[in-house]
Amino acid sequence: MSTSTIRRLILIGLLLAIGAALSLASPSFLKLDNLMTLLQDASQTGIVAIGFTLVLITAGIDMSIGAVIAVSAMVCVNFLTYTALPAALFIPLSLCVGLAVGAFNGFFITHFKLPEFIVTLASRGILAGLALIIAVKDTDGFVSNVYIQDPVYLGFGGTVGPFYIVTIVFVVLAFLTQGFIKRTRAGTNIYATGANPTAARLSGISTTRSIYGVYMFCGFCASLAAVFLSARMMTAMPEFGIGSEMDVIASVVIGGTPFTGGVGDIWGTVIGTLFLALIKNGILKLGISPYIQPIAIGGIIIVVVVVDVWYKDFAEKLARKAARRRLASAESRAAA
Amino acid sequence: MKARLTTILATTVFLLAGLSLGAQTSYKIGYLPSTVGQALTKAWGMGIEKTLKAEGAQVQSLDAQMKAEIQVSMMDDFINQGYNLIILQPIDAAALTASVKKAESKGIPVITLNTDTLAPHLACVTMDDYGAGYAVGDAIGKQLAGKGNVALIQSPPGALAGVEREKGFRDVMKKTYPGIKIVGAQNGEWNKDKAIAIMNSFLQVNKDLDAVFAVNDNMAEGAAIAADSAGRLKDVKIWGFNGQKSTLVQIEQGKVTGTAYTNAYDQGAAAAKLALETLKAGVKPATKTLVVTIKPFLATAETVSQITADNRW
Repeated sequence: MSTSTIRRLILIGLLLAIGAALSLASPSFLKLDNLMTLLQDASQTGIVAIGFTLVLITAGIDMSIGAVIAVSAMVCVNFLTYTALPAALFIPLSLCVGLAVGAFNGFFITHFKLPEFIVTLASRGILAGLALIIAVKDTDGFVSNVYIQDPVYLGFGGTVGPFYIVTIVFVVLAFLTQGFIKRTRAGTNIYATGANPTAARLSGISTTRSIYGVYMFCGFCASLAAVFLSARMMTAMPEFGIGSEMDVIASVVIGGTPFTGGVGDIWGTVIGTLFLALIKNGILKLGISPYIQPIAIGGIIIVVVVVDVWYKDFAEKLARKAARRRLASAESRAAA
Repeated sequence: MKARLTTILATTVFLLAGLSLGAQTSYKIGYLPSTVGQALTKAWGMGIEKTLKAEGAQVQSLDAQMKAEIQVSMMDDFINQGYNLIILQPIDAAALTASVKKAESKGIPVITLNTDTLAPHLACVTMDDYGAGYAVGDAIGKQLAGKGNVALIQSPPGALAGVEREKGFRDVMKKTYPGIKIVGAQNGEWNKDKAIAIMNSFLQVNKDLDAVFAVNDNMAEGAAIAADSAGRLKDVKIWGFNGQKSTLVQIEQGKVTGTAYTNAYDQGAAAAKLALETLKAGVKPATKTLVVTIKPFLATAETVSQITADNRW
């Protein structure tokens, strides 16, 4: 078994252990309703986290995802309020918002060679303002949050069997994206772009295309999440999703994708997302004060990441020792 | 030996039975404000807790961190855990409607604080936002004798409570005081720091600013800090809303001019009392939301002494 497989198994083991502890502490934790809500929360963050993973693999970062959620949601409610277009038509249009923002980010990152953080932070500001500007207003000019009643649109917040649709979409998207990055040339190019952009360029890979691609995909994922979020809440607010970046980033990093690029995959992100959602869901049931809850969440995250990193170092040390031993025995054989 | 074991076993069983019986009769009530970090939500929480604990009910409060998404997910959690009743301060009227509907449909009554939702539920215990905003506007109009420049420090767009206060204020200005000009309005996000920055820019742009209405006390305090450091506290009347303890002190010190005070302890206690009454009488599905309005009181340098220490929060 490779080191990364064992690392993953350790993470899954911790996940199950915390799950078991929570179900002992609170009888309502293992109820079907609760597990489905947990998966719904996880999937909401997870869909964005999938897109974000690809960005992180290219050693980039996208701070605009939260604001993309806000603008996409605002575009949807504008269509709902001011047009008679069916939801099946305007939802794909609103998904284009994310693609467009991704292209905008990609353009400034590749063309002007600007730092990813600055570009996406700037577009976050622009979009947050834009969301307020295009928000639906009442006659006095105050933002009024539309109560969505379109049955097709609300269907996105619904369930198939016990599963929420957002969960199903999350799983399908995870499979497709994992297949894409591991089994296609474009996927390999994304890893190469993150690991060593110069080497990638010299070997004929268009890093520009990879970067455009990942930011557009990340934007698309955020727009998709916006549709599910607004359908669940039956409304959209101009501050939707803003601030949710941190959960997304945490999920991806807990899942083992580092900021340095070139490494990481979707399964890690899926586990990381489940992890964060599990802790957040479980902590609510322990009857502890809301002041302590964020501290507990932070503490658990640190413990998990420490265990993960400790094992990685341990495995590397073992591997080095084994390599040295092989080298020594080879030398002694050569001497003999 | 055997007899002793039997006694221990019997006592354990008895105790466990007692515990589970006790758990059945005591109600579990969830308190979910927009955030736990503000004087208002803390005072509500204290009023609620005191009333419920006196009756042996359990209270769990959660922090929605001012985010509707988080609040919706926490509502789901209360519902899944089978709480008997939820006291909720919706961050947004529309965004929490689906959650309130879900809770009510599962037989969990919801009492909202300050912000109503579109779905009918047990009750909304609210300050009179529009009326009090109107009253503050009227007081400012009188203080300025119907002439001058005022500015507004607003709530986040879409926050119904803040919007209603502002609407009340704007309506009285339009109707009664056409001579007063509203020279600026900016979103202070309910927040003191933000209000300081906004007030600074108001003061720079308007050399003759006469009054500011901040739609909550935190922002009024921020405005007072900015006006004080600009040396213009004497020229600008600053009005807030809610009546938290720190602002009442600032009114006594002459920094803040006035505020629309509501007794938040009483408001929380009123919600909790209603909760207990409903649970004891048996839960019936709500067809229409009962609106309980807590009347505000305009606290100024002259009237603030009428608010006794144990009613300050």
